[in-house]
Amino acid sequence: MNVTIQEQDGNMVAILVGNLDTSVAAETEKAMSPLYNVEGKNIIIDCTGLAYISSAGLRIFLSILQITKEKGCHVYIKGINDNVRAVFTITGFSNIFEFV
Amino acid sequence: MKKIIAYIRRKLSVRVSLWVVFFAAVIFNVALGFLFYQARDAVYQEAVSRAMQILDKTSLRVEGILNRVEVASNMTKWLVQRHPDKPDSIFVYSRGMLANNPDFYNCSIAFEPYYFKDRGLYFSAYTKHVADTLRTIQGGSDHYQYFYSDWYLMPQLLERPCWTEPYMDLDVATNTSEMVTSYCQAIKNHEGKMIGVINVSLSISWLSQTISATKPYPHSYSIMIGRGGTYFVHPDTTKITRQTIFTQTMEQPDTALTALGHAMQRGEEGMKHMELNGVDCYVFYKPLGQTGCSMAIVCPESDIFGGFDRLRNSVRAIVFIGLLLMLYLFIRIITRELQPLRQLADEAETIASGQFDATLPDFRRVDEIGQLSHSFGNMQQSLVKYIEELKNTTAQKASIESDLRIASDIQMGMLPKQFPTKADRDDVVLYASLTPAKEVGGDLFDFYFRDEKLFFCIGDVSGKGVPASLFMAVTRSTFRTVSAHESMPDRIVTTMNRTIADMNKTHMFVTLFVGVLDLPTGRMYYCNAGHDAPLLVGAGVGVLTCDANIPVGFLPSWKYTLQEAHIFTGTTILLFTDGLTEAMDGANNQFQMERVNEVAARALTDQQQGPHELIGRMTEAVHEFVGDAEQSDDLTMMAIQYIRQQSDVRMRKSIVLPNDTKEVPRLNAFVSDICEDLGFDPNVAADVKVAVEEAVVNVMKYAYPPGKPGDVTIEAASNDIRVKFTIIDSGKPFDPTVQAPVDTTLSATERTIGGLGIHIMRQNMDSINYERMDNLNVLTLRKKIVKAEN
Repeated sequence: MNVTIQEQDGNMVAILVGNLDTSVAAETEKAMSPLYNVEGKNIIIDCTGLAYISSAGLRIFLSILQITKEKGCHVYIKGINDNVRAVFTITGFSNIFEFV
Repeated sequence: MKKIIAYIRRKLSVRVSLWVVFFAAVIFNVALGFLFYQARDAVYQEAVSRAMQILDKTSLRVEGILNRVEVASNMTKWLVQRHPDKPDSIFVYSRGMLANNPDFYNCSIAFEPYYFKDRGLYFSAYTKHVADTLRTIQGGSDHYQYFYSDWYLMPQLLERPCWTEPYMDLDVATNTSEMVTSYCQAIKNHEGKMIGVINVSLSISWLSQTISATKPYPHSYSIMIGRGGTYFVHPDTTKITRQTIFTQTMEQPDTALTALGHAMQRGEEGMKHMELNGVDCYVFYKPLGQTGCSMAIVCPESDIFGGFDRLRNSVRAIVFIGLLLMLYLFIRIITRELQPLRQLADEAETIASGQFDATLPDFRRVDEIGQLSHSFGNMQQSLVKYIEELKNTTAQKASIESDLRIASDIQMGMLPKQFPTKADRDDVVLYASLTPAKEVGGDLFDFYFRDEKLFFCIGDVSGKGVPASLFMAVTRSTFRTVSAHESMPDRIVTTMNRTIADMNKTHMFVTLFVGVLDLPTGRMYYCNAGHDAPLLVGAGVGVLTCDANIPVGFLPSWKYTLQEAHIFTGTTILLFTDGLTEAMDGANNQFQMERVNEVAARALTDQQQGPHELIGRMTEAVHEFVGDAEQSDDLTMMAIQYIRQQSDVRMRKSIVLPNDTKEVPRLNAFVSDICEDLGFDPNVAADVKVAVEEAVVNVMKYAYPPGKPGDVTIEAASNDIRVKFTIIDSGKPFDPTVQAPVDTTLSATERTIGGLGIHIMRQNMDSINYERMDNLNVLTLRKKIVKAEN
């Protein structure tokens, strides 16, 4: 599982590549922790390379959303595949995230 | 006649008037009767007195005359005795007698034979009234040898003067005869030797006239009889001298007449009331001096009482007419007085026809009619008021009834109506029916599927009607709520019991049977709380053994027991309430368990033990038994038939992992391979992967105490239809299927992370099934194989 965080066009972008299952959840969260400190910018999580996600991964997404929303940031999810989308839909996460 | 009686019954005026007239008539009768009785008596006394007076007067008169005769005879005798040898003087004396006594009939002074030698054998100076003159002749001759006459012989024989019996005196010269009676006495010379007889006669008819002169009553008559009873005076002249008073008694014995005759002969005086010739008479009789005759005045009763009777009849007629008049008048008067009642009756009819507001006539009277009218008015007002109340009550009742119907619909709506058939499921067939006794009842049944288990229950609330139905609703919703978190029937029932007992203020209770049938294996866990043990219809007909727990709602602290049984494929579990066994026919006989067994056995024989057929047959049998009798209790039945065929297992693989999430990739690879082998559609395979990961991760995180290593076994098996993953661990008991469902509609800020895993498992897999077996948590996830479309 690969996490890359960079700034693009005034937005914080996190690029995820690989399978976000429970075994890598902890380290993935650690890698994405800079996003917790973002203020006044939009966050885009690029999931084009994300092949798989389980509930542990969803937990990370939710944390990011809840913490940065308080600071006034929008969180966008970019380019999720069908399987990942299915998981988002089943859990209702598709209603609380914005997709681009 | 009947019409008259009916008329009288109908008319008060007629009845009252009849009563009044009746009593008046009675009083009149009594009073007048008494009066008439007394008056009659007075009249009677008066008549008697009058008759007696007349009788006395007549008697005196007659006796006076007789006396005169005797005195005259004595005087003449004295004269003759003084001058016994002057025959011519005798004629003078004889003549003188008659001249001085015009009412004497004749006088004969007759001497012994040849007493006057120069006059011959016979010498009788006979004088008689003829027209206005007297005729004096010598009466003796060969044709009339007076020596042998009674009047000549009797004084000699009796040696005293006497009156003769009446006899016929023949007047030769005129050839007339007259009935006479004579007073004759012997003439004696100074030596005491009889020389002749003086005979003074009285005409009987003259006597009769004298006697009959005074008639006390118009139709009364006098009679006179002689010593022998011969009639000498009688209105019927043919009887005179020819009949005696006893003559007619010879033909027809008449004791009264005979007695009268004897009494008169004996010289008695008195009064007899008797019937003479068919006429009621009073006979007053008295002897005539010394003549030996007796006279009687016969007064017909009709004469005496005639006037009185007429008076009495007149009075009676007057009273009768008066009473009739009274009857008529009273009827009229009373009818008029009752007129107001008729008016009231008419008004009552109007009210009765529905016009409650009709105004009653106001009579302005204070008597009974006025009071009645007043009371009537009160009654009318009350009627109006009560009818209003009744309308309201009826409306309320209709409203309640309509509410009850709605409640019934709601209650029926609470019960499951869709029953899985063979077409819907391949593991179980179910059917149930509930017929409440009233609109709403206390029986309940429920079932639902959760995670490859069939949760079902059947119950019976104590009582019927609305209270029971409310309790039933509470019980059912409690069942649903509790069994969402508990899979074990004993725990379900225990929790339900605590909950319900805590809020049970009315001391109702419900018998309950809760079962959980594990559909893959056919293992049934169950708990019976005082309910009828179900029947198992499979190889035969048998009763499921049940512990005797108490019904639910009683005792919050009761610990319910868990039982288990294995249900073989094809067996039908028949659950019912006591409405089945206690269904009553018209003679209060109960259906009873024996009949239930019979019907079930017959159904089994006929291969009709499927739930729908079995319940159908049982219902039919009950209806036949009960007949027309009213349904006494709710009738509820539920039948569950386990039909799962175990299909052959094609593949079995397993993997054991330590409880470290680092092993997840290995797990995922395991799952991926299996799915690929089975030809799963990739997207479906992805769902399966996520689900299995969540399940296993749960175990890894929570099954064992933190830091403690443990194993997780993942078994995979498949047949032609589906694949199943079984996750087994030996950690603490943990049933993921009872966790609270996740609310996926919450907003971002409201969402929590908890429960997501199980949610995903449920959503992605066809069924999840948890069992705790032999200290192991066994979680089975099943998915129907969905092949990739090529």
